[in-house]
This record gives sequence, structure tokens and C-alpha cells, in this order.
Amino acid sequence: MTSISLYVDKKSIVHDVDFLTKLIYCCVFIVAPIITGAVILGTFSFLVSLILIISAGALKKLMPIAALSLFVLLSVIIIQSAFIQGYHDVLFTIGPVHFYREGLIHASSIVVRFLDILLAFSLIVLTTHPADMVETLQRKGLSHRIGYVILSVFQIIPQMAQTMKTISDAQRSRGLETEGNIFIRAKAFLPLIGPVVINSLIGTRERAMALEARAFSAEVKHTYFRDEPVYRYKTPVRLILLLLLIVSIAWRLL
Amino acid sequence: MSKARNLWRVKLNTASIVLIPAAVAINYIGKLFAEALKLPLWLDSIGTIFAGIVGGPVLGALSGLINNIIYGLTLSPASAVYGIASIGIGVASGVLAHYGMVSKLWKVIVFGIIVALVSSIISVPLNYVYYGGQTGNIWGDAAFAFLNAHHVNVILSSFVDNILVDAPDKVVSAIVAFAVYRVLPKRLTILFDNSQETTTLD
Repeated sequence: MTSISLYVDKKSIVHDVDFLTKLIYCCVFIVAPIITGAVILGTFSFLVSLILIISAGALKKLMPIAALSLFVLLSVIIIQSAFIQGYHDVLFTIGPVHFYREGLIHASSIVVRFLDILLAFSLIVLTTHPADMVETLQRKGLSHRIGYVILSVFQIIPQMAQTMKTISDAQRSRGLETEGNIFIRAKAFLPLIGPVVINSLIGTRERAMALEARAFSAEVKHTYFRDEPVYRYKTPVRLILLLLLIVSIAWRLL
Repeated sequence: MSKARNLWRVKLNTASIVLIPAAVAINYIGKLFAEALKLPLWLDSIGTIFAGIVGGPVLGALSGLINNIIYGLTLSPASAVYGIASIGIGVASGVLAHYGMVSKLWKVIVFGIIVALVSSIISVPLNYVYYGGQTGNIWGDAAFAFLNAHHVNVILSSFVDNILVDAPDKVVSAIVAFAVYRVLPKRLTILFDNSQETTTLD
């Protein structure tokens, strides 16, 4: 069964870092550029995240994520630099549309902030196994029920995608049109999604009984399937990150 | 009085726990089908709305939150932040369903519009931080550009941008969730019903 997670299974310095430290990194590298408001710092933290992702060997999986947001970023640049009122300094003109310098500067700060947030999150997601994240959180007190919910989604979605294929074929063989103009396609939506949804909901009852039969709601201390990953440089790395945050707050205040 | 207490009470029993992953998967499948059929809507909150209808606002909110955590882990890490909007969708669906808004088609349409309003109000500040107010949808962004060019303030244009895309999306999602809810066997939906004291699995 194919995995839907973005996790890249490799060995690297970044993979060795524990989930909590990465989480702190992510928060600091998102919050610090926003606090200081400096585009330079945003660009810097973007580059740091990028280098870390490359060194983890996860650049290939980053590409589709980046491509997804490319279109949005492009429209941000066009709209912010050409359609916002109150700018005067025309940089260049394409046809009837003037592009303003102030707008372009504003757009570039949006793009940098966006890429910074995107890469900081990507770094965690690409280099941490979902099960590790959930187990770390469970050790910190997250309920095992919520942990189950998150991990089971990773199993249910591929299953449902399989059902989705079966049902699409079944409905098409009964003569359901799934191509054509927008009304034909919109009409096909309910007959396609209906059976998949009902199927999965009926499955929930069975799933619940299966869990109950395995003492899911037993009131005893639960054990973990995986060992707790230990990261050797946890304390110094976390301290440096906190220091960075304090420096950026100080920068803002001065 | 007891009605209000039931609304926010949640039984995190095994039946409710397995509803959440199903709701998240329904969201995901809705999005996949919408993409496969090239529909101009996202349709990625059917499951959240459904969870709100059958399980109440708390289960709806949990489904919305976990939905976006999963999106963050699988599709686009930055979208996890929109979990706040998904929580709003789940809570709104649960509350509206509790007050009888899922009995007739016209009520379901109003239901969808209210849910869209709630999610837009929450999304606007997020869009502002992320994209300077845009949503990334062509139709909505065209409206955003038009309003901006006519001196309407950014917050309002951003809201219009959002609601233009959200309202049809949430209305269709609500209708699908409603249609599924109507045909499901009672022995299944009763498992998630907070006011029921009898049929449980544990």
C-alpha cells in the first residue's frame, strides 16, 4: 500500500534531531523574521531551512510542495504590484498594466515570509516519521485516542482511494458520465462520492468493535511500540534556538 | 437547559474516535473527486461538516483540526495553519445541526452559507498574513484585484474574495453531507448521538 506521508526515509544529521527540537526550530524560524520584520532575516532563515532540507536529501519531495504554491505566489506578485492603489513609482509596463516598485517590494516580502513558513514546516514533515511525532507527543501527555486518530488516517486514506477507484469504475460501467461540460461533471459528484462515504462510515462501526476487542479503552498504562529516539545535542541546539529568538526580540525593541 | 449541556458534551468513546479518521478521509476523497472531475470548488470539508452533524460541535472541531494536521503532513505543510478555519467549520456545523438546520434542503443551503461565513471570517487574517489577502482561487482573486483597484479596503476585499469561493463550496459540501446523513442506517448514526444513553459499544 502506498504511503501518503511526505516523510523521506533516509539517514542524515537532520533526521537524527528529535521532533521537539525541530518543532522549536520551526517556531523560532517563523516567529523571529515576523517579529523583526526584516526581509533579510526572512531570506536568511529561508536559506537555512533550504540547506537543511537539501542536506537531509529531501529536495526531491520538496519540489511538488513548492510547485503547488508557485501559482499562488505568482498571482500575489502580479496583484500586489499592479492592482493596489496608492503607488506611484512605475517600474515597468506590460501592455496597459503598470507595475509599481513599492508593490513589488511589498510582494517580495510576502513571498519571502510565505517561503520561510513553508520551508520551516516542510523541514519537520520531510524528516520526521509521523509515528515518531505522534509518539513524542503521547509521551508528553497527548491522549492515545488522539494519537490513534492521527495515525489511522494514514491507513484509511489509501484504503479509501482504492474504494474510490472501484466505485468510479462501477458507476462508469453503469453509464455514469464523468467527462463533458461542467454540469455533467458536477452531476457525477454525488453518485461517485456517496457510495465511498457511506462505505467508509459503515466501516467505522466494524473498526470500533475491532478496537474494543483489543482493549483500546482499557484504563491501564500503555506501552509504546517504538523506542524513544535520543538526540545527543538536544540541549545545546535548543539553547541556541532560544537565544536566537531572544536576540530577535531585542533587535525589535532597540 | 439539558439541551444546551448535551450540545457541548462529548463522549470520546471508541465510536466517536473512529468517526474522526473517517471524516478526514472523506474530506480527502471529496478533494480528490473534485480534482478528478475538474470542478471549480475544493469540496474538502464534507467530512468535517458531516462529523459536526452527527457528532456535535466538539467532534466536528476535532475532525477539522486533525484534517489540517494531516494536510500539513501530506500535502502542503503550510496549510496546517488553516486548521483554525476548519475548527470553525466543524463547530458551526455541530451547533447549526443541533438547532435543526439539517432537516430541509433550503435550511441546508442556509446552513452552508453560515458555515462559509464563519470560515471566511477566520480565514481572512490568515490570508492576510500569508498572501497579502488573496486566496489563490482565480475568481476570488479577480474580485480582490477589482475591489482593490476601486479603493475598497484590503480586509473587505479579502473577505469578498474568500466568501465568493467559500459560499458555493460549503453549500455543495453541506448538501452532500446532508444527503449521506439521510440515507445512513440509524443503527450507525445513533452511535455518535450524545443524547442517547443506550446504544454504545463500550
